[in-house]
Amino acid sequence: MGARRIVPFVALALFLILPIFVREGFYLDLLLFTFMYAAMSVGWDIMGGYAGYVSLGTAGFFGIGSYAAGLLVVHYGIPVFVSAPFIGLFAALIGAGLGWVSLRSRGTSFVIVTLTFTYVVQLLALNLRGITGGSSGLYLPLLALPAEFVILPFYYSMFALLVVAILVSLAIRRSKFGLGLIAIREEEGKADGSGVNTSLYKILAFAISVSFAGVAGALHAQYLNYMDPDLAFELIITLSVIIMSLVGGRGTVWGPVLGAFIIQPLSVYLIYLAPSGIAGQVHLVALGVVLVLVVMFLPDGIIPTFETWRAGRSKPGRASLADEQVPGVAS
Amino acid sequence: MTALPLTAAAAKEAATEESDCLTVTGIHKSFGGIQALTDCSFVVKKGSITALIGPNGSGKTTLFNCITGFYEPDRGQVYVRDVSTIGRRPSDIVHLGVMRTFQVTRIFRRMTVLENMIVPIRQLTLRSLFTAAIKGDERVRAETLLEFFGLKGLRDQQAGSLSFGQQKLLELAAALMAEPEIVLLDEPAGGLNPVMIEKLAGHVRELNGRGVTFLIIEHNMGFVMNLCDPVIVMHRGTVIAQGSPGAVREDPIVLDAYLGD
Repeated sequence: MGARRIVPFVALALFLILPIFVREGFYLDLLLFTFMYAAMSVGWDIMGGYAGYVSLGTAGFFGIGSYAAGLLVVHYGIPVFVSAPFIGLFAALIGAGLGWVSLRSRGTSFVIVTLTFTYVVQLLALNLRGITGGSSGLYLPLLALPAEFVILPFYYSMFALLVVAILVSLAIRRSKFGLGLIAIREEEGKADGSGVNTSLYKILAFAISVSFAGVAGALHAQYLNYMDPDLAFELIITLSVIIMSLVGGRGTVWGPVLGAFIIQPLSVYLIYLAPSGIAGQVHLVALGVVLVLVVMFLPDGIIPTFETWRAGRSKPGRASLADEQVPGVAS
Repeated sequence: MTALPLTAAAAKEAATEESDCLTVTGIHKSFGGIQALTDCSFVVKKGSITALIGPNGSGKTTLFNCITGFYEPDRGQVYVRDVSTIGRRPSDIVHLGVMRTFQVTRIFRRMTVLENMIVPIRQLTLRSLFTAAIKGDERVRAETLLEFFGLKGLRDQQAGSLSFGQQKLLELAAALMAEPEIVLLDEPAGGLNPVMIEKLAGHVRELNGRGVTFLIIEHNMGFVMNLCDPVIVMHRGTVIAQGSPGAVREDPIVLDAYLGD
């Protein structure tokens, strides 16, 4: 087993045992949010990276997950750790419906539809006061755990979500489905003419993609014990997830994970270090700067750039995407 | 020779009586005020290498697009065996056993040659979606086809880095991966040198010997006359003649269409 293949297992073991040694809430909180963003970014990349369809709807599904979890806890007493998988399924069903409407055509309309969707569900959350609490939001009951342990279920849940997202992304990448998505990204008309049912593939990919945002939103709501329409549907969630994927490498399994592990700590430390008066804005500026730098100097992201450089050094003329794309195909 | 196209009814009847794999009946297609196709009808017999020729702008590629689901005809029917393709999307028509190549070669340029080979799917099931991108027997078939077309040594190359002729061969090889019953080739010899054209003709002949039916749009008359029988001639959006290469070559209507324009 090569060093490259060992790294994920070492990381898995490390993050599993880390809370035993690191008890400071700040670091666990930082990791928890990094896992959350990484999971959503991996999910986003299934649609935005593999199929090449940019969705601006992540925050919409994150918010739906938050409110679904909150309402189930508040009205029915169903704990979020029980409801979260079903909320993922619920988000996927909504995603399939939205995809069915918006993905039968090609082009940029999908981007607009997903952005509009976010604002529509946010407005619903704001105006359906009887159900959602409107702008006052919803308060969720605290978990009955000692304060020093209360972060652990969320840390491990978010970590599990990330592991599942990576496994799903890997499975898709190695499957006929994944290859079909990449074919759609490369030449959609040709893909259709090759027997790839492009609408079905895109709808399925979008449904899978947004389910992670739904689960993340559910866990996040319980972690904060609170939600309101501004917090749950914040557009910066979507932008962060996209920038993470772009930085690490769109259309790769590990690119979004790498991107999240760079961007999220950077944002948190900037907020932490900046003067309190501007702390809330500094990381937004940093995100913008990172986006500009990536577009200028690393348009393919870190991992594809590295892979191209490595392939160019070892095997001239070999396809640049072969290593990352279909293991076992290009040997 | 049959100087006139079949009528819609006759074409449909012929399809059910004989072993025909593609029947085009009364296809009309217009783009705004321009009538691209008018009452196009013909039958492609199973096991044939049928040519579809005609001057530029006669509607050949538009007809291909109507047959393969890229365009929806205004009127008329297309049957693959006895199944209508009208209203079906291109991928559904592939699943019926019809594959095509394009006038301007369309391959997945950033994928490897082998990846290009494994994209085409003849049968779509949920289970097949989530199996490995390439399985043992599929790999063998892909490599056999690549070897047949002389591309096996390039299997790990980026498809966009191949020469023009190699890209044409790859497009055809990939089309065959879906195990089609009929392959529609849109100007396969266009831009190829004489050696490559001869090689391509040999491949088509050999594949036809193995049971693949071809419908070929081509301007290279040497290629058509040596390889295809029957030949269908289109002019100004309609079929004006069909028959053996020799008969078509002598047909005054055909001569007028080519020389009169």
